[in-house]
Amino acid sequence: MRVVWAKELRETLRDRRTLGVMLLFPLVVYPLMALLLTEVIAGKEAAQGTRPSRVAVVGGDPAARETVRALLRSLPPGVRPGIPSASSAKATDGGFEVTGESGGGDSRETNASRSASTAEVTAGTLDAFVDLDPEKEAAPIPGADLLAIPAPRPLRVIYDETRPASDQAHDRLTLALGSVLPVGCAPTFAVTSTSVATKTKVGGYVLSKVLPLIVVIMTMLGAFYPAIDITAGERERGTLETLLTSPVRRFDLMTGKVLAVTTLAALTGALNIVSMSLTVAETAKLAGGATAGLTIPWTRALATLLVVAPAAFLFGSVMVAIGAMARGFKEAQSLLMPVYLLCLTPSLATSAGDFPLSGVTMLIPGTNLTLLARDLMLGDARLLPAAVTLISTLAFGAGALAFAARLYDSERLLTSTDSDLVGIGAWLRHLLGRAPARRGTPGASPSVAASPTTAGQALALFGIAFVLWFFVFTWLQHWRLLPGLLISQWGGFLGLVWLFARSTHRPLANVIGLRPPRAAAVAGAICIGMSCWIILGILADRVMPPPREVVENIRRLIRPPGQDRPLWLSIFALGVTPAICEEALFRGPILRGLRHQLPAGLACALTGILFGVLHGDVWRFVPTALLGTLLSWMALTSGSIVPSMVSHIVNNTTLIVLGYYGLDEAGEKLSSRANLLLAGGAVILLVVGIVAVRAGRQPLNPKTSPDTSSVSGVT
Amino acid sequence: MPASAVTVDSLSKRFGANAAVDGLSFFVSRGEIYGLLGPNGAGKTTTLRILAGLLPPTGGAARIEDVDVASTPREAQRRLGFLTGGTGLYARLSGREVLHYFGALQGLAPAAVEARLATLATALDLTGLLDRRCEALSSGQKQRVSIARAVLHDPPVLILDEPTVGLDVLASRFLREYIAAERTRGKAIIFSTHYLAEAELLCDRVGLMHQGRLLAEGPPAALRAQAADAGSLEEAFLRLVAGRA
Repeated sequence: MRVVWAKELRETLRDRRTLGVMLLFPLVVYPLMALLLTEVIAGKEAAQGTRPSRVAVVGGDPAARETVRALLRSLPPGVRPGIPSASSAKATDGGFEVTGESGGGDSRETNASRSASTAEVTAGTLDAFVDLDPEKEAAPIPGADLLAIPAPRPLRVIYDETRPASDQAHDRLTLALGSVLPVGCAPTFAVTSTSVATKTKVGGYVLSKVLPLIVVIMTMLGAFYPAIDITAGERERGTLETLLTSPVRRFDLMTGKVLAVTTLAALTGALNIVSMSLTVAETAKLAGGATAGLTIPWTRALATLLVVAPAAFLFGSVMVAIGAMARGFKEAQSLLMPVYLLCLTPSLATSAGDFPLSGVTMLIPGTNLTLLARDLMLGDARLLPAAVTLISTLAFGAGALAFAARLYDSERLLTSTDSDLVGIGAWLRHLLGRAPARRGTPGASPSVAASPTTAGQALALFGIAFVLWFFVFTWLQHWRLLPGLLISQWGGFLGLVWLFARSTHRPLANVIGLRPPRAAAVAGAICIGMSCWIILGILADRVMPPPREVVENIRRLIRPPGQDRPLWLSIFALGVTPAICEEALFRGPILRGLRHQLPAGLACALTGILFGVLHGDVWRFVPTALLGTLLSWMALTSGSIVPSMVSHIVNNTTLIVLGYYGLDEAGEKLSSRANLLLAGGAVILLVVGIVAVRAGRQPLNPKTSPDTSSVSGVT
Repeated sequence: MPASAVTVDSLSKRFGANAAVDGLSFFVSRGEIYGLLGPNGAGKTTTLRILAGLLPPTGGAARIEDVDVASTPREAQRRLGFLTGGTGLYARLSGREVLHYFGALQGLAPAAVEARLATLATALDLTGLLDRRCEALSSGQKQRVSIARAVLHDPPVLILDEPTVGLDVLASRFLREYIAAERTRGKAIIFSTHYLAEAELLCDRVGLMHQGRLLAEGPPAALRAQAADAGSLEEAFLRLVAGRA
C-alpha cells in the first residue's frame, strides 16, 4: 500500500499542471475572484447609495402634500431621523429629489396626477410616488382610542419592484415616512406599498436575476468538455498527426472545431433558457403567495437566445485555444478550470450588482453578454449597446480562434514533452530556475544557471507575489499603513526578486536589468512620468469613473486627516518605494521572463495586466494596466530598468504632491477649455517622452540574452 | 515528370541545440520501396514528419513529386498518404464515417469515396468492417481501415512510419503484401522501421540512419557486403555504427 501511495504521489507531483491547479487555484484564483466581486459590488453600492431618489407626492389636500414634500426635502442624505438602527445601513442614503406640484384639490385632478405619476414610475422617469389618498384606511392601533392617540394618516408608496432604483426609493420612503417620530411614539403615517409592475414584468425580473448568469455558466460548461475532447483529446488519442497530414489549412481545421464546440455550447445554453423559464414558472405556481400567477414573458425569454450563439462562439474559441495548448485531457482540464472560473467572475460580479450596459462594460467579454441577456429579459435592450456587445464578443472570439489556429501550426503540438523533468527535485529546480545541485543531480539540465528567466518563472513569481500581497501585505498595511507598506515593498516585492536572483545564481542587477541608461531615455521617462497621469486620469474618468468614495480613500491615504505626516514621508513611502520595488519585480524578472517566450508587444501588455491586477483596485485597473504596459515598453526599449523606475517615481510623486496640497480637487473645478489645454499639453509631453526613449534605445541584455536583444516589435 | 517521386536534399531539423536530422539526402523513385532504418531516436520519424508537412525543416529541402514541402505543404500533402503504427482512427466513428471524413478533407466527393471504398474493401478485406465503430475493431482490422484512409485518394507517394508496430504476424504479413502490391502499381513508398529483418524482406533500397545522419544506403544485399559481408542487415548496421564510433 505504501509503495503504491508513494508511486502515485511521485507521478502526480511530477505533473506541473496538477501542482499548478492544486496551489495556484486556491491561492490566486479565488482571492482574485473575491477581490473583483467585492470591489465591483462595493463601488456600485456606493454609487447607488449616494444617488437621490426621484419621488413625487399626490392626493390629499395641498397642505398635507406640502407637509410630506417638506418632510422629504428636509431629510439630508445619509440621515434618517428616528431610525437609529438603520443609520449604518443607510449611511450613504442619497435623500430625495421631490418633483413637481402634482395633484390638485378635487378627485378628478388627483386621479389624473395619480395616473400620470404611475405612468412615470412605469417608464422609469420617476422612482416612486406617495399617494396621500389610498383606497384602504390604515389599521387602527390597538388601544389607541383609550389613550386618545390620533389614528395615523394612511398613505401609499407606489413603485416598480422590478427596477432597483425604484425599489430603493420605496425602501427609503417607507423608512422615512413610517418612522418620522422618535422610537416609542405612535407613527404619524401608516405606510402601505403597491408595485406598478405587472405579473409578467415581475416574472421577467425574477428571470433576469438568474437566467443571464445561468446561461453564461451553462454555455461555458457546454463548451468545456467538447473543447478538451477535440483538441487535447485528439492529441492524446493519436488522431492529430493523421489529421494534420490532410491538405487543409490549419485555420479551416480550427474553425471547424470551434464551430462544433460552439454548436454544442449553444444547444446547452438554449436548453437551459427554456428549462430555467419553465422551472421558474412551475415553481411560482407551486409556491403560491406573492409569486402566484407569475407569468413568464416568453417573447423576452426567447429573445435572450440572441446572446447564446455569440457566447458559445466566444467561450468555444477561448476553450479550444486553451485546449490546443494542452498535451492531454488531464492537462487541458487543469488549464481550463482556472480560465473557466476567471471567465465566470465578471458575469458573477455583473449579476450581483445592477450595472447598466454602457461604456466600457459593453466591451468586457462575459459581462456584456450577461447584461445584454438581462436587458433582453427585462425588455430594456437598446440597439447600440446590443450591437457593440455582439460585435465585440464575436471579435474576441475570432481573436481566440486565430490564436488557436496559430497553435495548431506549431510543431510544439507534436514534439513537446516534460520528459527532461525526471525527479521532483529537477522539477522544483526547473520551476525556480535553479542551477543543478553542485554535486550533480541526474536529470538536471546543466544549462539552467545560464539560461534567462522563463515565462513560467515569471508567472510563478507573480503568483507568489500575489499570494503574499493578498494574504500578508494587505493585512500588514491595515495594521500600520506606512510600516506595513515599507515592509511589503522592500522586504516583500524586492525581497522576492532578491531571493529569485539568489536561487538562480545570478546577480540581482542582471535579473532586474539594472544598467546605466542613455540620457535621452531618462529624459523621456521624466516627460512620460509627468504627462501620463493626466491622460490616464482622463481615460479612467471616461471609461470607468471611480466612485467618489474610492477617490476620497486615495486622498486620505496621501494625507490622512488628523495626522501631521510630512510630505517627504508620503513621497518616500507612497511614491519612491513602490516605484523601485514594483519596477524591480514587474519590469525585472516578470517582464524579462515573459519576453523570453512572447513577442515584445504581448509581453509588455501581459506585464501591464499583471501589474494592474496586483494593485487590487478594479476602478484603477485600466489606468494601472496601461501605465504598466508603458513602463514595460520603456524598460525594453531603453534596455534598462532605470527609466521605468524614474518615470514611475515622477508619476507617483506628482500625484502625491497634488493630493497633499488638495490641488487635485482644485483641478476638478477647471473649465473645459483649461482641461482641454491640460490634456493637449500632456499628449505633447507624452509624445516627446516616447520619442526621447526611442532615441535612447539600447539592447535589453545583449550578452546574456540574445532572444531579448531586439525590441523592434514594440517600437 | 520529375526524375524521382521523393527527393530529400541536405535536410536538417534542429530542436534547440539538438540536431534530430543533420544534412540528410536521399531519393525514392516510382515503384520503389525505400526503407529508412535505424534505432529509436535516429531521426526517422522527424524526417517522415517533415516530408508529410507536419514539421518545418530547419535547413535543406524535401520535395514530393517536385512540390516543395516547406513552401507548399498542402500541395505536397495531396500527393502523399501517411500511415503510422498508431492507427489514427476516431474510435466513436465507424470505418466508413472515418473514410468519408478524410476523403472530404482530401477534396473527394462522397460518391468518389464510395467508389474507391468498393475497390479498397476487396483489396484490404474490409467487408463487414466499415460499418462498425472503430473502437470495436481489432488492431489488425484498425490497421486495414487505416491503410484504406492513407490510400483513399490514391496518392503517388506513401509514407509509412513503423506501420507494423503492435501487429501480430498475420496482420504484419498482410500489410507487407499490400505494400508490395502498391509498389507494383508504381507507388513510391518510404517505409520506416527498426525491425531490420522486415526491411530486408520488403525494401528495394534502404538508408541506415544514426543520430540524424545517413550511415549507408543501398540495396540490403549491397549493405551487407559493404559491412564486411555481414550475415544480416542487423549485423551490417551494428558494424557500421561501430565503425563510426
